[in-house]
Amino acid sequence: MNPTRLCSRRHFLHANGFGLGSLALAWLLRRDGLLAAPMKPHVDGPLRFDLLPKPPHFAPKAKAMISLFMMGGPSQMDLFDPKPMLTKYDGQVFPGEIKYDNLAQASAKVFGSPWTFTPRGECGMELSELLPKLGEVADDITLIRSMHSGVNNHAQALYAINNGRILRGRPALGSWLTYGLGSETQELPAYMVLAHPAGLPTFDAEHYTNGWLPALYQGTLIRPTEPRILNLDPPAALAGQPQARQLELLKSFNESHLATHPGELDLQARIASYELAAKMQTAAKEALDISNEPGSIKKLYGIDDPKTRDYATRCLIARRLIERGVRFVQVLNSGQSWDHHGSLISALPKNCIAVDQPSAALLTDLKQRGLLDTTVVHWGGEMGRLPVLQNDVGRDKCGRDHNTYGFSQWVAGGGFKRGHVHGETDEWGQHAVKDVVHHYDWHATLLQCFGLDHTRLTYTRNGLNASLTDGQDARVVQEILA
Amino acid sequence: MLPRACQLTLLAGALAVRSAGAETRELTFERDVRPILKAHCTHCHGEEEKPKGGVDLRLRRFMDRKLESGGHVLVPGRPDESEMVLLIREGEMPKKGKKVSPEELAVIERWIAQGAKAMKPEPESLAPGMFITDGDREFWSFQPVARPAVPEAGKNPRVRTPIDAFVLAKLRGQQLDLSPDADRRTLIRRVTLDLTGLLPTPPEVEAFVADPAPDAYEKVVDRLLASSAYGERWARHWLDVAGYADSNGVTEVDSPRLHAWRYRDYVIRAFNADKPWNEFIIEQLAGDELAGATHDDAPQAIADPHKRDLLVATAFLRLGPDGTDDGAPDPKLARNQAITEEMRIVSSSLLGLTVACAQCHDHRYDPIPQSDYYRLRAIFDPAYNWEKWRPPAQRLYSLYTPEERAQADEIERQARAIEAEARAMTKTFLEEVFQKEIVKLPEEEREPYRAARATVAKERTPGQKALIRKYPAALADKSLDLYDKDAQKKVTAKTAEAAKLRATKPAEAMIMALTEVKGVVPESRVFNRGDHDQPKQRVEPGELTVLAPSEMAELKPEPLTSGSTGRRLAYARWLTSGKHPLVARVLVNRFWLHHFGRGIVSTAGDFGTLGEPPTHPELLDWLASEFMSGGWKLKPLHRLMVTSTAYRQSSRNEPSVTVDPENKLYARFMLQRLDAEALRDAMLAAAGTLNRTAFGVPVEIARDRSGRIVVGREELNTNRDVVKVISLGQDDFRRSVYVKVRRKQPLTVLDAFDAPMMQPNCEARNRTTVAPQSLLLMNDTFILDTARALATRLRQETAGDARGQIVRAWRILFSQEAREEDVSRSLVYLAEQTEAIRTYYLGTKPAKDAPPSDPQLESLASLCQVFLSSNRFLYVE
Repeated sequence: MNPTRLCSRRHFLHANGFGLGSLALAWLLRRDGLLAAPMKPHVDGPLRFDLLPKPPHFAPKAKAMISLFMMGGPSQMDLFDPKPMLTKYDGQVFPGEIKYDNLAQASAKVFGSPWTFTPRGECGMELSELLPKLGEVADDITLIRSMHSGVNNHAQALYAINNGRILRGRPALGSWLTYGLGSETQELPAYMVLAHPAGLPTFDAEHYTNGWLPALYQGTLIRPTEPRILNLDPPAALAGQPQARQLELLKSFNESHLATHPGELDLQARIASYELAAKMQTAAKEALDISNEPGSIKKLYGIDDPKTRDYATRCLIARRLIERGVRFVQVLNSGQSWDHHGSLISALPKNCIAVDQPSAALLTDLKQRGLLDTTVVHWGGEMGRLPVLQNDVGRDKCGRDHNTYGFSQWVAGGGFKRGHVHGETDEWGQHAVKDVVHHYDWHATLLQCFGLDHTRLTYTRNGLNASLTDGQDARVVQEILA
Repeated sequence: MLPRACQLTLLAGALAVRSAGAETRELTFERDVRPILKAHCTHCHGEEEKPKGGVDLRLRRFMDRKLESGGHVLVPGRPDESEMVLLIREGEMPKKGKKVSPEELAVIERWIAQGAKAMKPEPESLAPGMFITDGDREFWSFQPVARPAVPEAGKNPRVRTPIDAFVLAKLRGQQLDLSPDADRRTLIRRVTLDLTGLLPTPPEVEAFVADPAPDAYEKVVDRLLASSAYGERWARHWLDVAGYADSNGVTEVDSPRLHAWRYRDYVIRAFNADKPWNEFIIEQLAGDELAGATHDDAPQAIADPHKRDLLVATAFLRLGPDGTDDGAPDPKLARNQAITEEMRIVSSSLLGLTVACAQCHDHRYDPIPQSDYYRLRAIFDPAYNWEKWRPPAQRLYSLYTPEERAQADEIERQARAIEAEARAMTKTFLEEVFQKEIVKLPEEEREPYRAARATVAKERTPGQKALIRKYPAALADKSLDLYDKDAQKKVTAKTAEAAKLRATKPAEAMIMALTEVKGVVPESRVFNRGDHDQPKQRVEPGELTVLAPSEMAELKPEPLTSGSTGRRLAYARWLTSGKHPLVARVLVNRFWLHHFGRGIVSTAGDFGTLGEPPTHPELLDWLASEFMSGGWKLKPLHRLMVTSTAYRQSSRNEPSVTVDPENKLYARFMLQRLDAEALRDAMLAAAGTLNRTAFGVPVEIARDRSGRIVVGREELNTNRDVVKVISLGQDDFRRSVYVKVRRKQPLTVLDAFDAPMMQPNCEARNRTTVAPQSLLLMNDTFILDTARALATRLRQETAGDARGQIVRAWRILFSQEAREEDVSRSLVYLAEQTEAIRTYYLGTKPAKDAPPSDPQLESLASLCQVFLSSNRFLYVE
């Protein structure tokens, strides 16, 4: 306890305690933790929160995270999870039950992957020919083939994987991390989200909502084009020296005002927040400006190629933000561009081309800078796809319907194993059957990497402790941790 | 030397440690052990219908029963032979939830070692469920409101009101004392922002400063309380607690709630009229029953303006998020969730307890058994009736005249005919699709498939089902758009004709209200684990057991002649009877919170065991008692609070800031940042653009191209992207309370400054101090436009006199006279900035749609922006 501060409850005891019954006294003492009592969450008045770095529960492996989110449901049997049975029975009637989402285009025909899989890296991880560059870094990733959330709608599936439960309105993963750990930089927002030029993914702000956590932990949306942050730019006529002059005058007024209110932390914090905002105008600009990156790096990511330019730029920005102490960066796609109900054969390769090289380059680049050990990189969406055809009107038109009972994602760095494959789906790739990783297991494991116990990272709400895993039967998946 | 307060702390600490000391004090079941067991064990062992393993830990007596295994739950004097200790030690218990901490286990062990004693004799047996003990009932907030004597204060001139006597009594013996009174300029700015959410005008400030009358301040307070701005300001506080919004929330759609605003207006009028809070509460909980109206006769009742108001008041019970009109995937769940949200609002706003925690299980910390939750809910069940649910659209009552009604009905009839036609078209088109699909099947399967399709789904043979499963796409019984877009377009066009026709109906004003259906009284049951699909025992309506005196153990509503059950009316009358332990305390605590920046109970929505105890319990009770005996009127209470020395004192008191940063002792007035609405409204008022038009349909909001939510109307292109935001003219400048509240789209400038997201309501706002607020104040179009408007105003009022403009701005914004150094600093700034902007324009062409450049005005605007962004403006001293 800080000895210069008044501890009012004990003061209350002194002033009033002797006048109350012994029962009330015992109750008050219990509340002080002086007698045995259930743990009491901290609640005291209008709370104040900040983004200063906070110690985790135990020694962390990871300090930052980049999430490459693929809304729509990338097809696991065409990218990550080879299924010879599908090839063998291609075009024949699927023998089991299938839950379709789109009945008009439903078909019971098995759809063998049009693409071939080969073992990649020293680990021999089998990956699709659609992800050649990922294959080059296969020895750095853990591939999870047994993800499961169990709700076939995009919305609920997104909430599960991104916000912890299938319910709307809960804080996103990045909010929990910044709430728990604060930020390593005070010049940039702790949690940043990089939007796609074609627009936000479906359910837009739900991707980076702070839910009921304080607004401080909301993801700051970075626009896909300049200006990437709102209100970073002063009005044209005030840019530069004129605004500096403005802020200088503001500071002098605020300081002389503070002098008449010594010790007022709020006033100090407000002065500091202008300083951060002013720094952000330059720091965020600097962080978001890739023009001084060497040509070799730009080439590595694929910024020189129109097909990969946008995603490469955003992956590179993500690295620059992490490097500067940002805790959590999410790189978004638009709409649900991985939702291939049709034209899978032509559309999926296009999606892959856009992200494959940049994603792999991100790993290579982080590794060569020694950042991969402390940075978790995640690649995945909210669901996967079915083993059967959808839209049976010719091979070029067909696709696959939703599947949340078994899908794949990969993760690298920050304490995860390298060159490792975890879990299996059944022989058709429809259901996760071995070493199933539920969305909440994934979250518990991820928090573990950050030195956080998922049962202890809580926020007091309505008098109760709410958490990311929220009492679901979550398990830390030790098998994927190095 | 340590500050006095700190010595007390040490003393109290030493006392506490000694009293908890291991050897000196005998531990008892009730005081020491029961709370631990309640938190970890009795949920399974005692509170369920059948205690797990036959072990019931609710009473000490039950622990003597032998276990099925032959062992003993506890052996007095021998912790090591007590199964309870062994199982906890080995981590076998508790099976679920949080583990018992080593400290807690040590208490249990010591208690057993001392002989495992209880303080009082225990009953022989207990009904299943939570057992509310005498100890539970003795919790401070469940005691009746007392009327404590006002502490003796002698002839201390600082004691202007009894409030001061209580505050001083607490300060006595501290090293702290009340601060001197704030100066008049500070005081009028404080009280005007507090009571009206607007700035005092310079003439108001000067009049007050120059007024020699001894009651000059009291006159200001009376003027403010009588102003219409008062209601607009204070209604907002209640709207937070009530969870007011103009949209339904829950789903993606966040559908508009077009008629909620009448409730907002009702609240504003109630505040302005100083409607007594007992009436205000009764009307909101049971206005329909007061008006003698049920669902069937509400349309007639609303012809009477008074009854109409009473019905509008009941919208309070329909303010929570409700997705039942928006295609929630599980309708039953959605209905029960809507009721849950309403219960959360009712209980947190009026009872100040986290009753909602008892929806799925007995409350873990407060003595609220799960059955109590459903007893409380039963009061409202006849009106909500989830099994015969009326979604939001069916809880609206029209203000149509009979002629308008007839006209609308005729249009509706025609529109439906068109829709029937559209449906027939769909059917025909699908049939055509099928004829095309069927030929894709092998010849021999076509006839069987036709037969299968023609058979009703339920009656299909396994063979037919398999055939359809084999060719799912051929079925073509729905989703026309997925088969044939052009055909769908034709159907859509037809349907659009109906919509177009409907748009010609006379505009229909509606009110949103809660009513019961005559004679329909659903059974209320406890839902196992909160699941409506697992109804358990029946419950009768009633108050929470721990709050109910014996005569209120059962709610005995008098059946009303209208056919309504009278449950809500009876409950509302009990809440406002003056005997309820919580209602008045919870209310006055909120009023206090808004005036003083923190509650006497700092957890305004939780007066239970997890909440904070009151800093000034006697003052809280005295205020609650004063409020009730004064006829539940708020304005006299405001007057009492804002005329107290505690309120009028200066915010500057360094020892208080250092020793008591949270101002629990009130040795200073707490510095407070303007809340979101006051900030926006005060800025508009200062700029001279504020539009004081009151009441009515909410001001539209729009998403601008950079993603900000601003006041205005969206112009969309065919992709439904925003092309631009169209100004609403004067409506752009209405007070914030009249701006549309979309649950999913808060106005950016309000959102940045902690205006609440209504999920479902807000018991106390957060106060954040973050960089995005600063970025907004530096660069957002709202602030830039407002600063420019203020500069324009200054130039009009004090043309050609830069010094005069600065002095004037200082008076408008801060209610202060600028000091010479502030003026000269500003003048230097203006000169430099004008020159810089002039230089800028020399090298740059202004944008096409920009106003012609005016370096002098822009530089003055940039100075106004500094003033508007400064702490002197943003904080109330």
